[in-house]
Amino acid sequence: MKFLFADSLDFVDPNYDFLADRHGAKRVALHGDEFPHEFLDEVPYDGMLVSRGIVGDGPVAGKYTDAQIMRFRREGARSFLRFEEARFPDTMMMGDCGAFTYRAMAVPPYGGEDTAEFYADGRFTHGCSPDHIIFDFDAPISARTIEEVPEDVRDRYEVTLQNAAEFKAAAKAIGPGFTPMGVIQGWSAASMADAAADLVKMGYDYLALGGTVPLKIHQLRQALAAIRSSIPSDTRLHVLGFGKIECLADLEHFGVTSFDTTSPLVRAFKDAKKNYWMRDAAGDLSYYTAIRIPQATENNKLKAKAREGSVNQEEIRVLESAALVAVREMAGRTGGIDDALDAVMEYWAILNWDEEASPSRRAAAATRQRAVYARTLGERPWEDCTCRVCREGGVEALIFRNSNRNKRRGMHNLHVFHRHLQKFRTTEA
Amino acid sequence: MTEKLEFDVIVPRQNAAVPVFTFAAKASDVRRIARIERAGRDAGGVLSGFQRPQIAAHIREIRDYLEKPTAILPNPIVVAFTGRASLRPVGGAGSGIQRLTIDLSDGAPGLIVDGQQRFTALNEIADRDFELLVSGFICDGAEELQRQFILINNTRPLPKALVYELLPQVSDLPLRMSNRSQAALLTEALNYRADSSLRGLIRQQTNPKGIIRDTVLQRLIMASLTDGALRLHAGDDRTLMENGSRLISEYFHAVQTVFEKEWKGRTPKDSRLLHGAGIIAMGYVMEALHVMTGATEREEFADGLRLLRGKTAWTEGEWTFGGERRRWNGLQNVPSDIRQLSLHLVQVLKRGLAEREQAA
Repeated sequence: MKFLFADSLDFVDPNYDFLADRHGAKRVALHGDEFPHEFLDEVPYDGMLVSRGIVGDGPVAGKYTDAQIMRFRREGARSFLRFEEARFPDTMMMGDCGAFTYRAMAVPPYGGEDTAEFYADGRFTHGCSPDHIIFDFDAPISARTIEEVPEDVRDRYEVTLQNAAEFKAAAKAIGPGFTPMGVIQGWSAASMADAAADLVKMGYDYLALGGTVPLKIHQLRQALAAIRSSIPSDTRLHVLGFGKIECLADLEHFGVTSFDTTSPLVRAFKDAKKNYWMRDAAGDLSYYTAIRIPQATENNKLKAKAREGSVNQEEIRVLESAALVAVREMAGRTGGIDDALDAVMEYWAILNWDEEASPSRRAAAATRQRAVYARTLGERPWEDCTCRVCREGGVEALIFRNSNRNKRRGMHNLHVFHRHLQKFRTTEA
Repeated sequence: MTEKLEFDVIVPRQNAAVPVFTFAAKASDVRRIARIERAGRDAGGVLSGFQRPQIAAHIREIRDYLEKPTAILPNPIVVAFTGRASLRPVGGAGSGIQRLTIDLSDGAPGLIVDGQQRFTALNEIADRDFELLVSGFICDGAEELQRQFILINNTRPLPKALVYELLPQVSDLPLRMSNRSQAALLTEALNYRADSSLRGLIRQQTNPKGIIRDTVLQRLIMASLTDGALRLHAGDDRTLMENGSRLISEYFHAVQTVFEKEWKGRTPKDSRLLHGAGIIAMGYVMEALHVMTGATEREEFADGLRLLRGKTAWTEGEWTFGGERRRWNGLQNVPSDIRQLSLHLVQVLKRGLAEREQAA
């Protein structure tokens, strides 16, 4: 089972200076930065997925600058991401349309022809047909027929299959090195199974299941079971945007060939709690909460408070710096954990000052937060990890603060997740 | 702890009611005599203070500069006192030198009217002996102070185009400006070199008769410096001026030849080829030709550009982008139009090259 990482220009500056909190001298954005497969000692995934919505083009603005879009289309994804086949053999370079980015539009902004052109320019090894997300999911017992679903759902279902047919024909021109993938969308397990069977009839031998993000794990199981029973056993199956990374065994059970996710990276800074990943003795993933010490004069929340005059920037900069120093001293064993927690919580109190909450609720929240941080600092997880992030950064990897730390922590998580998956594969095999 | 600080100050004769003075002091001393009061409101909605918040990136740039041994800071920080500061003459009458006494018993009495970002940056650097110039005045109340604040801070920044024109004359600028500086340098060369195909055609502050906006050409060059053919010369002005300028000049020579009808005697108004969207999109055509055919000379570029002839709508007709049709003058200098046009032209070119190859 292959794990593909869905990139959205996730790189770090290898010369970032944590103490001065600034980029290395003469840093050149992107060119001098490093992607996870460059920064870490071993590549933490079996392939990458790049979505057209992230790159952006005419009607859809993505994350790339115009100059980057045009270079991506001239050089191809592997060259742009420096993920060359020669250096990373047996890896996949998969494209999709990024249906989530245009979910609000009535019809996808892309068709089969121009999508094939995008994949040809990107020199992808695999690419998905342009789909349109369906957000409904019926329980098997109450599943609606195609006549019963609202027009919008029916339209999305039909345009997805229609695009797949068009795309299958257009993809022939890309050449034999390219594998087109038909995307499954549906509002129920049964409708997904029907769509899958239709895609196989069109000639697809690699299918991708879309729209799984909002699904509960039991719903995903139902969908995979129904799809599996409606397609030949040698038809390969990919799960797009698989967020339930704790449930790898389910994917394995239904013969999923590959899946993609951003979870390990993104949860480093978007999750409230599960920021830093570990594989525990029992072989499960476990998590730590990173210590939030945002930049006093750059953090948006604190900037807003400064504008309305409710914090004094000179004063909060002192608290910020005290928190950083105390955490570093604690990590270096020249300071105690209580001093570090005191300093962190003093800054936390200003950051999370909520005028609505009563003093007792505020105190309770602070006590809870302190306990969470006490576990992170007390167990010193960074000392048990040998990845480059922890080796070079130490406790900095656990500090929730600006992109260079947060994305590094995400890279550590990718490392842990990939190791976890490899161990999982050997035990399952 | 000292309850007061004294400085010998120069007092120019200006306004007897609002005495003005100037002196030099270390940042650590300025911190003792002056504070920053930011605009904010109390619970009752009453406004207090006047300064804006710190601008982190700006402070960082100033700090980077001040850390260099060559740094100077000739413009003073301005501090206002509404009390607890007094002047008394020393030396002969009318000498202009007086002694300033500042009472610190109740904290810093001065308010920083101008230079808070510089002051913050100075506080962060290691070299605490660096002295800054301080200009101060003593006024009666908050109103005079706010008036001075508004007068000082309501200046107009230089036009960006003039700043860009001046950039190439200056070295050791913040990194943020170095791509722009290189682009400005190359733009200048293309506009004034005798053998440039764009000679005199670029509109700059100092060349108002030009037709193509300098900032547009700079955008083309910056895109090439980060992600295109000029990447080779990023950070190397010498090779950029030799090989980079030649590449752009050769290319635009080819553009002018192949699209003579749409170029000669035209303006951005009546030909989208000379317009921001057209110039930038054609920049990406240059990159594509350079990568796909190895073109560097005018004939090689022209050979590829001919594939676009008859498939453009620079001065009339309409463009077809996917399912969307756009009138020739419906194209604007906005990101989505530039992207659509760039992708379209490069795709037409790519198909043309493929067809030509098949025919051969």
